[in-house]
Amino acid sequence: MIKKLALMLLLVSTSSFAQYYKTYDWKSNPKLHTLSSSDLKEASVGILKKNVVEYNKSLFTQGLKRYETQHTIVRVNSDKGISRHNTVYIPMRDVTQVVDIKARTIHPDGNITELNKDNIKEVKNVEEYGDFKIFAIEGAEEGSEIEVLYTVEKEYDMHGNETIQSDYPIKEARFIFITGDLPSKTKAYRTNSKFESVELNGKASQQIVLKDIPAMIEEQYATPDANKIAVAYQCFPSGQNITHEMFWENVVNNIGSQFFPQETSAKVNEDIKGFVKGQENLTVFKVASLVDNFIKSNFNIVKNNNAELSNLDYILTNRSASEFGIIKAYAHYLKALNIEFEFVITANRFEYKFDPEFFSPSMLRDFIIYLPTEDKYISPNRIEYRVGEAPSNLLGNHGLYINKNFEYYFSKIVQADSLFSRIKRTTDITFDDDIESVILKQHQEYYGHWAVTNRAVMNLSPESAKKEFEDYLTGSGIEDKVVETIETKNTDMNPLEYNLPFIVNATMSSESLLEEAGDSYIFQIGKVIGTQSELYQENERMNPIEMDFPNQYDYTITINIPDGYSVDGLDALKIDKSYTGPSGEKLCKFESNYTLNGNKLVITIQEFYRTNEYDLGRYEEFRTVINAASDFNKASILIKAEE
Amino acid sequence: MSMPKFIKPIVLFLLCLPLLVIAQDFSNEDYIYLKRHEYIKIKLAKNNFNIAKNISEQAEYLTAKKLYFANESIGYDSFTSIENIDAYTHLPSANKNIKVDYIETKREFDNGIFYSDQESKNFTFPAVTKGAITNLNYTEVLKDPRFLGLFRFGTFVPTKNAKLTIEFPKNVTIGYIDFNTKDIPLKFEKEETKSSNIYTWSVDNITGFQGEELSEAVLYYLPHIIVYIKSYELKGKTYNVLNDVKDLYKWYASLVKQIDEKSLENVYAISDKVTKGLTSNRDKAEAIFNWVQDNITYVAFEDGLGGFIPRSASSVCDKRYGDCKDMANLLYEMYKHVGIEAYRTWIGTRDRPYSYLEVPTPMVDNHMITTAIVENDTIFLDATDSYVPFGMPSAFTQTKEALLGIDENSFKLIKVPVQDINKNVTTIKSDFSIENGTLKVSEQRDLTGYEKVDFISDYTYKKDDKTEEEYLNTTLSLGNNKTKYSNISKKNFDNKATALVLNYDLSIDNYAKTVADKTYINLNIDRVLAKSKIDIKDRKYSKKIDHKFKKTYTTTFNIPEGYTVSHIPKDLKYENPEYGYTITYTQNNDQIIQKKTIYINTLSVQNKDFETWNGFIKSLVKAYKKSIIIEKNQ
Repeated sequence: MIKKLALMLLLVSTSSFAQYYKTYDWKSNPKLHTLSSSDLKEASVGILKKNVVEYNKSLFTQGLKRYETQHTIVRVNSDKGISRHNTVYIPMRDVTQVVDIKARTIHPDGNITELNKDNIKEVKNVEEYGDFKIFAIEGAEEGSEIEVLYTVEKEYDMHGNETIQSDYPIKEARFIFITGDLPSKTKAYRTNSKFESVELNGKASQQIVLKDIPAMIEEQYATPDANKIAVAYQCFPSGQNITHEMFWENVVNNIGSQFFPQETSAKVNEDIKGFVKGQENLTVFKVASLVDNFIKSNFNIVKNNNAELSNLDYILTNRSASEFGIIKAYAHYLKALNIEFEFVITANRFEYKFDPEFFSPSMLRDFIIYLPTEDKYISPNRIEYRVGEAPSNLLGNHGLYINKNFEYYFSKIVQADSLFSRIKRTTDITFDDDIESVILKQHQEYYGHWAVTNRAVMNLSPESAKKEFEDYLTGSGIEDKVVETIETKNTDMNPLEYNLPFIVNATMSSESLLEEAGDSYIFQIGKVIGTQSELYQENERMNPIEMDFPNQYDYTITINIPDGYSVDGLDALKIDKSYTGPSGEKLCKFESNYTLNGNKLVITIQEFYRTNEYDLGRYEEFRTVINAASDFNKASILIKAEE
Repeated sequence: MSMPKFIKPIVLFLLCLPLLVIAQDFSNEDYIYLKRHEYIKIKLAKNNFNIAKNISEQAEYLTAKKLYFANESIGYDSFTSIENIDAYTHLPSANKNIKVDYIETKREFDNGIFYSDQESKNFTFPAVTKGAITNLNYTEVLKDPRFLGLFRFGTFVPTKNAKLTIEFPKNVTIGYIDFNTKDIPLKFEKEETKSSNIYTWSVDNITGFQGEELSEAVLYYLPHIIVYIKSYELKGKTYNVLNDVKDLYKWYASLVKQIDEKSLENVYAISDKVTKGLTSNRDKAEAIFNWVQDNITYVAFEDGLGGFIPRSASSVCDKRYGDCKDMANLLYEMYKHVGIEAYRTWIGTRDRPYSYLEVPTPMVDNHMITTAIVENDTIFLDATDSYVPFGMPSAFTQTKEALLGIDENSFKLIKVPVQDINKNVTTIKSDFSIENGTLKVSEQRDLTGYEKVDFISDYTYKKDDKTEEEYLNTTLSLGNNKTKYSNISKKNFDNKATALVLNYDLSIDNYAKTVADKTYINLNIDRVLAKSKIDIKDRKYSKKIDHKFKKTYTTTFNIPEGYTVSHIPKDLKYENPEYGYTITYTQNNDQIIQKKTIYINTLSVQNKDFETWNGFIKSLVKAYKKSIIIEKNQ
């Protein structure tokens, strides 16, 4: 008894400083802030975004507690600004106690409307996000400021992160990390501001302050959400200073021991007998494909809280697994068939940039399987992908690779074959007798990610989406196009051949392509390649350039000039734009040219992007190549009666 | 802008249908329902109803492609509860059943409704693959006899047998009405037991229904039936439930009575303030409407009967947010205070094909507005549409029957009129010239009515991070997607009846084509409707048009010095009472003037008129492709 009391006193003494949130409050007499005229033009402007994370030793137990406070003030200047900020969702995941939630509106006339706390609603188990407290801001009107301040106590977690930047500008952001004498680490991403040591209420703390943070904007060929300014942090129990290496090793051992089976389940062997039956001398690629095809035709990935979904026996009986559990199933089938494989843990590059230097569990999002002998991937949670390159949303991110000996390394996920995704298209063009209508006969071969997507749309989408898909496959952008015939080949979702092209043969007709001008015609030949994206850039480019995936287009267009007519004005068909890498090789280009032989005008186009990442500093050159295709799309030729 | 919701949205997959729905071969399908049965059992004990629906569904996977259909979600709210879920997968090849052993209760965040009491029971059928048959049985207990709902004979995939049965005591009278069933072999049977009547509707082999772009809402073509309790008899006395619209209104009136009407001082103060100095009722009505549009943001809560009862005007005013019924009630209170005749009004949006006279149930409406009588004009006011000018109804309520609550016992049904084409006009004046081969255009667009409303709503909510130049380029689509916009200005960007005026200059490269001495220029840089041809071969449902409109263009081409005009296209037109265009060209001195009018004077194009519509579009596209030619003087 005496001992216990002593311990309690000891604990009390180490946490005798008041927690920060207890003394922190909003102003008792708030006034509207003064904003510049450009700020007043924005739909809304963040005046303050302050986050405080405080780790604290519990008074009566050995455990650590974590308090999170968020304080925001936002000026809303328009309807759109109000709609953006007048509903508040506070996630309750890991929250053990809501200390306080309050909100108020400061009106332009100085009056204040405070949130009636009875109007805070609780919403349980929302999709995959857990519980929430939600409320609508009361009294918000144009020109008012919305202020929200809340503190929650959360379960102890060594790791955390906070996104600082938003899709509206923020005048001042402050992130305060209070850990006292506990060992801790912090890292700030995509900012020049640095964490500084400060002492708050007698406790050692880290603080980072950012001023005038611009709004993150949506841009083409970019991953804006993943590029926002953010911080990551860690805080450990006393005396445990854990290195990042120790965390990685821990993950590797965990995953390794759970996922690399010692022995394979008997249930798996029965299935294997079924799907390899009668096939001999199979290559590694083929065996892996058979496994991938079998699992994707028999298993569902389920997103709910059922713990059984990662239990192998349950998975094999119910053919249902969590995103995590499905990996176990793959491992058993692959091992039973003696296929060598590694696990890769990474993240969607549009959401997170994987950082091998700073361990954070929130980056460990996506699991794929690497076949080292083939240099190919299996994507268990992607119903559309089969053995080949990694899904395009992972390309360029780093991954943690784990082999069967529980050894690990980090590697950037790249495409082994930069020509994986290609479109080959030949178009033969004729005109009807009275030169009213254009007839296009087209053969196309789609490879790589395009073939993957096309098969998925073809097989998985509802009937209602098929019309739009047909339009896409026959070159969108021809206003009055009529698809006379269309035939697709190699559409099966379960091919056993590597990078089998998705083939489309189609005949289309259009009258709008042929404009009339007296007794001549203007043929809008450029529209035959379909609408091309145009990169507009009135504002300075913000995000680094990231394309979906490396790719190449090879087009041949043959125009059969009608008898009694000739063509003129062909200069627009010649375009040559490129972007060269440091060693002089073309990294991307658009090149078009033509030859005229008798009544045949043959146009050839090659456009390619060898990599999916380009230097932000050379954005203008990249834009020139992208826009060259859009230039070609405007090309027209004159078809005139011979004199 | 999201459609305001008053009653729970009907959760429907999007859908479509062949006109022939007779015995079908479904072997090309991936997934079909073998059966979808619903058995409604109504019990009456004294004055209390006890109603349960037993739902029984069986589906087959004909291929292993769409295994995602194994994810099942059963929605319910505070008016219903879900009980006795029994679900399992039958695997015929192994002759084995595997039960669903895990069901999770979930919520969803909805873009349109901030907070709702809607929840769902979610689970995944195990071990589905080619040949698997899934079985689902559960009971839905209804807590209110007014919500028997509707039964869909067809759904997003084919159904081999769809059946609705309703069993009810002999002292209960039910009503029913079916929709879009004339092309399906619907069977109806009546049976009797000692104490009950049993009605059954069933249909075999009905195809799947999936939505189409720009078509009428699904309830306009999906075969379905609405059943409802009209009345019951007890000890010689008849008690009405929903015998006709009078009973529905009686219920609505009883809900409205529960509105908190105390302490409206703040509402009155604002009403007085915004109408200060105004003398005519019309001006006052407009000022109040604009205030509500400008100051109350749309935020919807749907919580039990709270989803039907407007919140007090005083609280809406203080909180500055509300949903359709809250805004409707606030307007009503403000109007009443300043002496304007006004009524709370229930209405179904154009998504609902029903009339109160045919369907006296809450299914008929999903929205609430206010009706005011000002200087003998009946004005429908929908403040959830932030930009509709005073005097016009929201576009999505045109043609619909409005139920005006006159007093506790009386109501009135009035149709919201279709807004005349001349209210929704875009007038375009453009000045064209050629500079070094580049087409330069100076243009002004004046937009009125719904043309203005649509532009402002899209601009406000769809522009996202695009610059003004890029936004106009991608939405107006003038010339081509390289067209450069400069000197952009906009006037009257508001919710008033005055025209929105847009001005900008365009520079369009690669547009005019010069070969030798000749330059070819197409004056139709705006190709509105050029992509509107209907694919008659595959199209199944009638085309919906949001509002009638007219666009009139006056395009002046300035002939450059040293050039002569060598070709001007002929005048063209296509005229039909419902849609058409005219184009004329005239030359005077150094200008060519093109005048063009395009009009749509209907809210829908029926299937039988598709050929005519396509004839119109084909003719218009042909007119669009005619260029003028100018030639350098020798």
